[in-house]
Amino acid sequence: MMITPKKHPLSLFCLLACIFLSSLSHGQKLQNRNGKTVDFSGHWEMDYADSDNIQARLDTMVRELQRRAARQSNGNMNRSNSSMSMGSGSGYNSGPSVIGLAQMADMITQSQLLEVTQSDHEIKVKREQTFALSCEFYGDYFQTVETPFGNESCGWDSHQMLFRILLPEGVSIQHRFTLGPSGERLNVATTVVSDRVSYPFTLNRVYNRFEPGKSGISCEVTLTRGKVCTTEGSK
Amino acid sequence: MRSLLLAGILALLWGCSGSPDKNEASSSQSSEPQTVAVGDVNLRLPSGVPAEYALLDIGLVIFDPGIPKDPASLSKLGIFPEIRKAEARYLPYLLRRVLVDTQAWGAVRVLPKPDATAELQLTGKILVSDGSRLSVHIRANDASGRVWLDRAYTDVARTQDYPVALGGDPYIDLYRKISNDLLDFREKLSQDELARIRDVSLLQYAASLSPDAFAGFVTPDEEGNLVVRRLPAEDDPMLGRVQRIKNQEYLFIDNADEQYQELYDRMTPTYNLWRQNGRELAIYKEEYEERVANKEREGRRGTFAAMQQTYNAYSRSKEHDQDLDELAQGFNNEVAPTVMEVEGKVFRLNGSLESQYNEWRAILRSIFALETGLPPVE
Repeated sequence: MMITPKKHPLSLFCLLACIFLSSLSHGQKLQNRNGKTVDFSGHWEMDYADSDNIQARLDTMVRELQRRAARQSNGNMNRSNSSMSMGSGSGYNSGPSVIGLAQMADMITQSQLLEVTQSDHEIKVKREQTFALSCEFYGDYFQTVETPFGNESCGWDSHQMLFRILLPEGVSIQHRFTLGPSGERLNVATTVVSDRVSYPFTLNRVYNRFEPGKSGISCEVTLTRGKVCTTEGSK
Repeated sequence: MRSLLLAGILALLWGCSGSPDKNEASSSQSSEPQTVAVGDVNLRLPSGVPAEYALLDIGLVIFDPGIPKDPASLSKLGIFPEIRKAEARYLPYLLRRVLVDTQAWGAVRVLPKPDATAELQLTGKILVSDGSRLSVHIRANDASGRVWLDRAYTDVARTQDYPVALGGDPYIDLYRKISNDLLDFREKLSQDELARIRDVSLLQYAASLSPDAFAGFVTPDEEGNLVVRRLPAEDDPMLGRVQRIKNQEYLFIDNADEQYQELYDRMTPTYNLWRQNGRELAIYKEEYEERVANKEREGRRGTFAAMQQTYNAYSRSKEHDQDLDELAQGFNNEVAPTVMEVEGKVFRLNGSLESQYNEWRAILRSIFALETGLPPVE
């Protein structure tokens, strides 16, 4: 459904869109290099041990911002620089904004289970307790969809699958799916960017492949009868 | 590659520069201009019992589902191909029922493919079809090639149209309007013109069986419409045979027609539910979008509260879309096997019809050759 936003402040949103799209033309390949897609399909469960610790990532980010602020203030000794301060105010790189970014990344990546279905031209990532990420890929370009609440784009970046969401109010989210060499591990790197913080926040979630338990019952959804289940043997 | 990206950027910027009207967006399934909804329509019946010459047989070809060739555009246009394929068989059958109800026509049959010799043939293309709106392009032409209808019809569903009453349809006015327009057109034709349509149909059919014997009876005029130049004698035995074969063919077509009725009966409850749920979801989404747009911002820009609000609005909107996808999947799980089954049966009928045809043609030509003493046509 191609509907553009109606009442949201769009100028910054559009600016971000321009920057985002123009960045594609410089560095990134939009299709798997071999012309073949990587098969992500299957059931995945989160491996907490190998996934990022949010506090550690936040600490790293804060240290990086402080380093940058220090470098900048050294270079501009005579100029006051409130924008790089890590205070509790409402300015650029403020404490609430930085912590807010980390909270966002944590909230977005809560799904413990993923179910990926994939065909030659489509991938769908069903995520526990939130909406599914889906992408249709026909040819070597990013599929873009506009909705009243944000613009999406997705496609292959070499062997990785990228989902990008540009939200109003200067927020963007990127999920980068990478399959491990054995095909048994999946890394989902989620990056959240805000126009109020000069550094993106990335959180890696690692998933292990698993086989869901066989109940011996196979179900499908119907409209008039709801969920209809049969024993597998009788199908 | 760069030019593509540039085009993408321009498209996005264009999108940022303004927002199309919601009605326009919701009806963006087809590039054809939208027509005004037909409104409330009463089914018109002929005044009195129609004369025999007016009872033209109608062939209703299953509709063109209007699925774009580019599969990448389907989700953007909100088209679910499997549902469209089912609708392409369902909608003509519904139109058939309305036409039959008028008792203004001869036999009304749903045909699996076009038949140029039909006395009156209707073809249709689905432009938009969802729980809120139905828009189809209908073309009707008689055997002589005269065009009766060639326009788009649109109807919109109202809240009171759901749940769909037994035997009803949310877009029944659209079918009534088509029926009324056909009747209007027919009533403008003279008795002679109507009789000629039937003659052309029969002679065209005869020519398709035996081109040599019936060549020259019907030829195109300056406008390309077929006209009868001469008629065989009323007691022409060849014509009698042609008529018998044609009746034989109808037996097969009526069998195919029964299959469409079966599809219609089995699909109706699911299809009505799909449209009702689809409409409710669309309305809910529309209202939700409006509520969110008017809602006050929570927290300062860049704070978690503000970002969460933005993300949640997006997330809910995605969930709405995915609910619709799941609904479509539920429809497919229930109806697709029936569509396949019916199509299989119709295909088998066509297969046997075709062999029967060939057999009949060979016999007819042999008889004709024996009677006339001419060499048989290869």
